[in-house]
Amino acid sequence: MDLSRYAALFQTESREHLGSCAQALLEWERDLKATEPVVTVFRGMHTFKGMAAAMGFNHLTELAHRTETLLDVVRSDPGSASRELLDLLFRIVDALEAGVPEAVAGGDGKLDFTPLLDELTNASAASAPTGSWAIPVREDRPAPAAGGGRLVRVVIRSGTAMRGARAMLAIRKAEALGKVNTIRPPASTFEQEEFDGKLSFRFEGRSSDASLIAAVQSAGDVGSVQVGEETAVEEPGRKVERRRQIRIDLRRLDALMNQVGELVVAKGRLSELAAVTDSPDLKAVAARIQRVTSEMHGEIVQARMTPVWQVFDRFPRMVRDLSRQLSKRVAFEVEGEENEMDRAILDEIGDPLIHLLRNAVDHGIESTAERKKRNKPAEGRILLSAMRDRTSVAIRVKDDGQGIDRQKVLAKAVKEGHLPSGTTTLTDDQLLRVLGRPGFSTAKSVTDVSGRGVGMDAVLSKVRALGGSVELETAAGEGSTFTMRLPLTLAIVRALLARVGDERYAVPLAGVAETVEFNPVLVASLEGKEAFVLRQELLPTVRLRERLGVIGTRPVGKAPTIILQVGERRCALVVDALVGQQEIVVEPFDAPKGMLPIFTGATILGDGVPALIVDPAALV
Amino acid sequence: MSHTVLVCDDAIFMRTMISDILAQAGFEVVGEAETGREAVERYRKLKPDLVTMDIVMPDMGGIDAVREICKEDPDAKILMCSAMGQQALVVEAIQAGAKDFVVKPFQPSRVLEAVQRVLG
Repeated sequence: MDLSRYAALFQTESREHLGSCAQALLEWERDLKATEPVVTVFRGMHTFKGMAAAMGFNHLTELAHRTETLLDVVRSDPGSASRELLDLLFRIVDALEAGVPEAVAGGDGKLDFTPLLDELTNASAASAPTGSWAIPVREDRPAPAAGGGRLVRVVIRSGTAMRGARAMLAIRKAEALGKVNTIRPPASTFEQEEFDGKLSFRFEGRSSDASLIAAVQSAGDVGSVQVGEETAVEEPGRKVERRRQIRIDLRRLDALMNQVGELVVAKGRLSELAAVTDSPDLKAVAARIQRVTSEMHGEIVQARMTPVWQVFDRFPRMVRDLSRQLSKRVAFEVEGEENEMDRAILDEIGDPLIHLLRNAVDHGIESTAERKKRNKPAEGRILLSAMRDRTSVAIRVKDDGQGIDRQKVLAKAVKEGHLPSGTTTLTDDQLLRVLGRPGFSTAKSVTDVSGRGVGMDAVLSKVRALGGSVELETAAGEGSTFTMRLPLTLAIVRALLARVGDERYAVPLAGVAETVEFNPVLVASLEGKEAFVLRQELLPTVRLRERLGVIGTRPVGKAPTIILQVGERRCALVVDALVGQQEIVVEPFDAPKGMLPIFTGATILGDGVPALIVDPAALV
Repeated sequence: MSHTVLVCDDAIFMRTMISDILAQAGFEVVGEAETGREAVERYRKLKPDLVTMDIVMPDMGGIDAVREICKEDPDAKILMCSAMGQQALVVEAIQAGAKDFVVKPFQPSRVLEAVQRVLG
């Protein structure tokens, strides 16, 4: 059997199981008498051992096996665990995590776990394995909901008008065949526009599953119908159960996504053709393709969605180690880890988050003595949270430390020429921009943890490259909050198309607040630069034509103006004409040297002509 | 034989549009009604295969008309014609016995899909 095919799967799944071990160890450390975490670590170790053995990785298998044996003993005698034992377990999990890629690369034979195995031997109260491989089975299945009959789960297609009414029709169709009870959510929800189209009910009747499904589907716009019990039920109010998923090689999804990208481009062209045709048939087909394509895109994006805990899970451990190293007391909390975002984005935000968390522990949270002096709780707090809204995810790192010293940053920035001399105040926004200058750091000495002056610069450019933005709020003595706002997904975004000269440019709608007519009468001066007056607000003005150096004269008089907004920052972008809105496929971009740094990528428009994508964050 | 249809809407514009869509697809529009009361009376007389029913009409609304018609003929095939934001009313109409619905603005393809579903 060719095992290399399974290597990638082994690697990802191992990471998951070892990750949950590490997580459980943290819980265990907080309460040495707790039994739940022991069971979790035991089970994770056992699963990992089985996989490693199947791959023929003997060294990994042995370490996992010996650890499991020890855990089995501890499990039968809760309370026998010591801090030393937990430290050993932490190190074992680390060693296994590090060993996985090496083994996959063919180096299992070179892995040397002898010191850890020796420590394990010493730690084992009973040296003989107990021989019990039984895995404790956690009772995950909830009691059956009230009412009998078969469970039917229905999803109304997204994008359908009045999903609630559709849901009610589906129920009526089922009622025509038998008795329906236990409708979830309650039928009254169907009257609300916010209803998300997912419902379930119990059905009692003689009809076969197939005819029941056919009946429900005849309600129209039904995305899926499933008859049968669920394996895991998410109950509101309970901690959200981490869902099991089947594993698909990400490259498959990427390939599919690229194909859908092509389809979106072709669809754009088709819609243009349909708009000028007289054939109602062609119009109808174009409209249908339009609908199917956007549903398909939605589905694939959904398939790429990954809960953020896959990245967040490693941070509790990191913060714990850091705070120990710096002799600080830090309570680390994570919120919203069940929120999902595109795998491609998630993979990129680990490093920026590490920077922010390190900064929070190192520079944010004060020493215990300092905190006492300031009448603050001895233990500092760091909160990492993810919150989702319609088109973006906000990831926040909040600490209750000393805040950023504005005056110190100001003095240094003026001294180094980042700010004009005479500047006396800094808004949070300006503060962030100064901190984001390459090489800017106020740390007196370079520590092992942070303060090399590469952090904030790297964070800002990474987040911007992903089409996101960073915001900062800080108050002396109260702490700092960094918020990264990231798009839910890459690849396909809605954009406003604008024309300047002979070229069209795409402006992602996420950065567009509104469009207005530029009225030359309403121009004022802001710090010597042209500013557009919009409802008593002065907006810095960027004339795209001039910025691009387009030759020729601008149309005289009023011109369409796009109001860009990123976080709190706004500016007015003057263009020659607005062309319309379109879904565009973002192509990765290596900007040629010397190109204006205001573009994030390129796209092919419906008619096959390429267009550059304007980066709102670079302009405001 | 083509299916017969009764079109109920208080706006001539909407009645014309729906009639056109259905006539082009080969249906025979045998009657029109401007109010809920008219709808109930014409249904009794014409016994059409299909009824399209506006929700908001003077002198008995569409939902009450659905209730009346279904009381006399539980198998009546009624398609609700609604506007965005009327979800609660559509749900009520379905509970009253309407078999499907379409949402304005009408796309002919969507209307015909719904009609096909109703006529099974």
